[in-house]
Amino acid sequence: MTVGGRASVVPLALAASACSYQHYQSTFGNAATEARQFNILFVIFLVICAIMYLAVIAFLVASIARRRRAGEANTVEEGRHHESNPLMRTALISWGAVVGSGLVALAIASFIADRSMASAAANEKLSITVTGNQWWWDVQYNAGDNSKMVRTANEIHLPVGVPVRIYLKSNDVIHSFWVPSLAGKQDLIPGRDTDITVVPRKVGIYRGQCAEFCGAEHAKMALVVDVDSYRDFIKWWQHQLQPAPAPATPLAKAGYAFVTSRNCSVCHAIAGTPASGTVGPDLTHFASRRTIAAGAMPMSEGNLYGWVEDPQSIKPGSKMPTIGLEPNELHAVVAYLETLK
Amino acid sequence: MQRVEYLFTALGASAACAALSACNRSPPKQQLGSATVYQAAPVGDHAVAAPAASPADDGNWVMPGKDYAATRFSALNQVTPANVSKLALSFTFSTATTHGYEAPPLVVKGTMYLITPFPNYLYALDLTKPGAPTKWVFKPKPLAASQGVACCDTVNRGAAYDQGRIFFNTLDGQTIAVDANSGQQVWRTQLGDIQKGETITMAPLVAGGKVLVGNSGGEMGVRGWIAALDEGSGKLAWRAYNTGPDKDVLIGPRFKPFYKSDQGKDLGVKTWPPEAWKIGGGTVWGWPSFDPETHLIYYGVGNPGPWNPDQRPGDNKWTTGVFARDVSTGEAVWFYQTTPHDLFDHDDINEIILADIPWKGQRRPVLFRPARAGFFYVQDRRTGQVLSAAPYGYVNGYKGVDLKTGLIIPNHDKDTKVGRVVRDICPAAPGLKDWNPSAFSPVTGLVYIPHNNLCMDFGAMQANYISGTPYVGADVKMYAGPGGNRGAFTAWDPIRQRKVWEIPEDLPLWSPALVTAGGVVFYGTMDGWFKAIDARTGKQLWRFKAGSGIIGQPISYRGPDGRQYIAFVAGVGGWAGAVVSAKMDTRDPTGALGFANAVKDLPMKTTAGGMLYVFTLPR
Amino acid sequence: MSSRCRASFAFIAVAALVAGACNREERHSRAKPIGETVPAGESPDTIWPGGTVPQTLDPRAKLYDNNAPAISQGQQLFTQMNCVGCHSHGGGGMGPALMDDEWRYGGRIDQIATSIAEGRPNGMPSWRSKLTTDQIWQLAAYVRSLSGQPSKDAVSSRAEAMSNATPQTLAPREPAHTSDTAEQ
Repeated sequence: MTVGGRASVVPLALAASACSYQHYQSTFGNAATEARQFNILFVIFLVICAIMYLAVIAFLVASIARRRRAGEANTVEEGRHHESNPLMRTALISWGAVVGSGLVALAIASFIADRSMASAAANEKLSITVTGNQWWWDVQYNAGDNSKMVRTANEIHLPVGVPVRIYLKSNDVIHSFWVPSLAGKQDLIPGRDTDITVVPRKVGIYRGQCAEFCGAEHAKMALVVDVDSYRDFIKWWQHQLQPAPAPATPLAKAGYAFVTSRNCSVCHAIAGTPASGTVGPDLTHFASRRTIAAGAMPMSEGNLYGWVEDPQSIKPGSKMPTIGLEPNELHAVVAYLETLK
Repeated sequence: MQRVEYLFTALGASAACAALSACNRSPPKQQLGSATVYQAAPVGDHAVAAPAASPADDGNWVMPGKDYAATRFSALNQVTPANVSKLALSFTFSTATTHGYEAPPLVVKGTMYLITPFPNYLYALDLTKPGAPTKWVFKPKPLAASQGVACCDTVNRGAAYDQGRIFFNTLDGQTIAVDANSGQQVWRTQLGDIQKGETITMAPLVAGGKVLVGNSGGEMGVRGWIAALDEGSGKLAWRAYNTGPDKDVLIGPRFKPFYKSDQGKDLGVKTWPPEAWKIGGGTVWGWPSFDPETHLIYYGVGNPGPWNPDQRPGDNKWTTGVFARDVSTGEAVWFYQTTPHDLFDHDDINEIILADIPWKGQRRPVLFRPARAGFFYVQDRRTGQVLSAAPYGYVNGYKGVDLKTGLIIPNHDKDTKVGRVVRDICPAAPGLKDWNPSAFSPVTGLVYIPHNNLCMDFGAMQANYISGTPYVGADVKMYAGPGGNRGAFTAWDPIRQRKVWEIPEDLPLWSPALVTAGGVVFYGTMDGWFKAIDARTGKQLWRFKAGSGIIGQPISYRGPDGRQYIAFVAGVGGWAGAVVSAKMDTRDPTGALGFANAVKDLPMKTTAGGMLYVFTLPR
Repeated sequence: MSSRCRASFAFIAVAALVAGACNREERHSRAKPIGETVPAGESPDTIWPGGTVPQTLDPRAKLYDNNAPAISQGQQLFTQMNCVGCHSHGGGGMGPALMDDEWRYGGRIDQIATSIAEGRPNGMPSWRSKLTTDQIWQLAAYVRSLSGQPSKDAVSSRAEAMSNATPQTLAPREPAHTSDTAEQ
């Protein structure tokens, strides 16, 4: 292969890999009806606009090239240019028709995409309320039977194929809910209720991000959406309804004592314990989540130690203060938190 | 040209005037302090007090409600409309406290007992000697920190006397029995925990050999309960919670609520989000009543917590409703929920008057409840069925009560929501009438209701639960309702469900009422006027300006000399008077859970105090 | 002066103004050092038998007093820690009014911080084991702003709650009685 040939392989390979990539957080993810509709629309727009663009470029190049040819008669002469270009007139009218029909096609495509997204959302079977805080997501699963409600944070589990309506509220400033693989953006505005509907189509894990600047740690306000089969989703829900297990080991017991009598219980809630704070994320099943601090770090024991000991060095400005735990207190607290699966 | 302009200006001005007056929804201002008579007092067949619960008057006053039927009616008739203006001060006594005084004096066999707000001193005064000197003082020494978890001033609503002992509660959650003669403690039981935000402010009810006590703290995220202590030993006989699983609520096979919405298993868990019922309120800080015939106690349950309703979707059983329980075992017999999923802090703890009314040619045993939600409930006390529920003042937070389903009909325009301020909700959080009980006269058949006329703005926000601190989640601002008067005293006909006469008052009425067989009604205003009113016509007969606002129960007793005495303690405070008793700053309208805005002028009109006044007719 | 000279002169002047605006106040994300204790905070009226002992204000006070981020953070904590439930938005209720000039236990920032950390008799809870020192100082800074102590450019301009009291940026500055003047 020649050098030029080899060079042309690289962009093609990249393009190919883009199509087969998992799309963890990508607008090409196509993991839900909304994302698919949106992507189809995107492709239609891209094609039509690309044609228009290329045509415009072609005309531009052509007109520059014609201008360059020396000695050509100046077409701009009084009374002459009208009769000398009937071709121009036809070209103008037909080009106008092409552009007009292109725009109409875009409008129709847009309308169809919007309506199909709306109809897919029409019969929502699941309802979730997501409340944005600086800088974490409070997630609450609504249920007809209120005693089956689930509260969690920074992680949403959804059943595949089931339309879910996510009601969006904010406790402080404007945030924006964006899981690119699943759907578009929707703002969370304090004092106002908005909502977004999603019908996930592919089982998998998707990352979302706050898409409206909301303060110092806006960049570290991610969320994880876990799309499961319906059966796995119900199992997860039932597990979430269980209160936190009682600590078994002495170290975990010491951690429990610290968590429920010191700073932690003032902001956090752990079902089955006296801690019922609503200011911070619910920790009942904290250890089963994939990330710590709204995507700031993946969940692991080392990261947990770092977070509990000094959250301000990881997410400076976040509302969780650096308490300054003694080493034995730190071991105990992390040991207890790890039991909250 | 000029004439045309003039014409347009005139038209515009008159249109503007018409528009502005159309906006003014309040009726022309009534004369404050003087009665408006709506109908003549009823004659003929009218309600009477439940006979077993309301024995003949022996001239004493042994419990705050006068009798188990909570009539607050004195059968003494020496004082009449003709001679009440001659009432003269017989003696006074300073209780040495300056917080809100909500309790009645008790009088038993020539001794008067006074229980003060924190620090809950119990005084015994010897009425047989001139000047009523102190016999003894009992000082329970409650924990000073309990003042930090008492939502609405550090009040005490009274003691009770039974078989030689005085029973009362302290702010830090103890119930104490003291020998009525010697002042020595007989027993003391700790029931409440201030670390959880619990206090006890209510007056115990001594019935069926038990001392019934309930906790306070609906604004502190407590779990509400009512407990029965054995009268002789003070040991806990039973405790019934008002939220949670049926076994905690003492709901068993005997429980038969009348309406479908109150029927089901473990509703005290199912109608709450998970775990929310553990900090859901439902306290018992008002007035239980007792029917000796059926051995049932009736009591109302306080508000669910927090005030922000979005944190507790569901009906929130068993809060803001009325329970009937067997006094010996505590088993629930029936329950009626006045405001499911309460939005406005309309505790249902008001007094429950037991009466018998003529019903289709027979006598029907009922109970009367002028509720905080604004409706005067008449319910069959055997089953809880609502016979009538008419508003006794201006109500726009609800549209009425559906008698078929028993459910209150909400007005969804007034639904409170997080992040919004909902304006002009009537009645305001203290309700159309708060804890201060009304009086029922079996002579006139009327219920005399001292109450409020307040509306509020309510802004809900997320509440954080930290035990021992408030769990509210709302900013409230209260102000006068339609008419501009903040209080009113209404004489209500419970059978025909209408006002007979009403006296509008400038300030909210926070004092209980007293009615006598002589035909005189007594109540006090928050700026210190103690008034005597003709029970039939509403005409003011006499008034006396006390040293402080009056929020305590007036009583009437027969002294050792055989004369009729009228007594009350003046000491402004409570939720309404916290502006004065807690020395608040009135520049913040949300102070005292919104009350500061409604009574900004109170510090100019009265000062704190705690003085007993006793009146009688001159010889 | 040539136009180039004028331009560079103007540039230097603007740069100097901008640089002067930096470091107006310090915003830190954690207390320094970590894990310190709260000051004793005696009243200046305390009687010292045998002679007055000179007192200096705790050096940490200037990190928080008149510090806008600290006051703003304190405002959030004031609602979240339920101070609002007892003290309303300064008017009081279960607890004393914080917007007036009467202080039972002292109105200096270190005295307020001690009140919050240690609790006080008659019902003020002790927060030492529940809040970090940094948070307690932030709350103390906010409490002082309720009664008009810090300068107008440091106080919070936006009340998050329905209040209708005069906004702090418009309320007149009131001198504090730092000693205990309130009747008990």
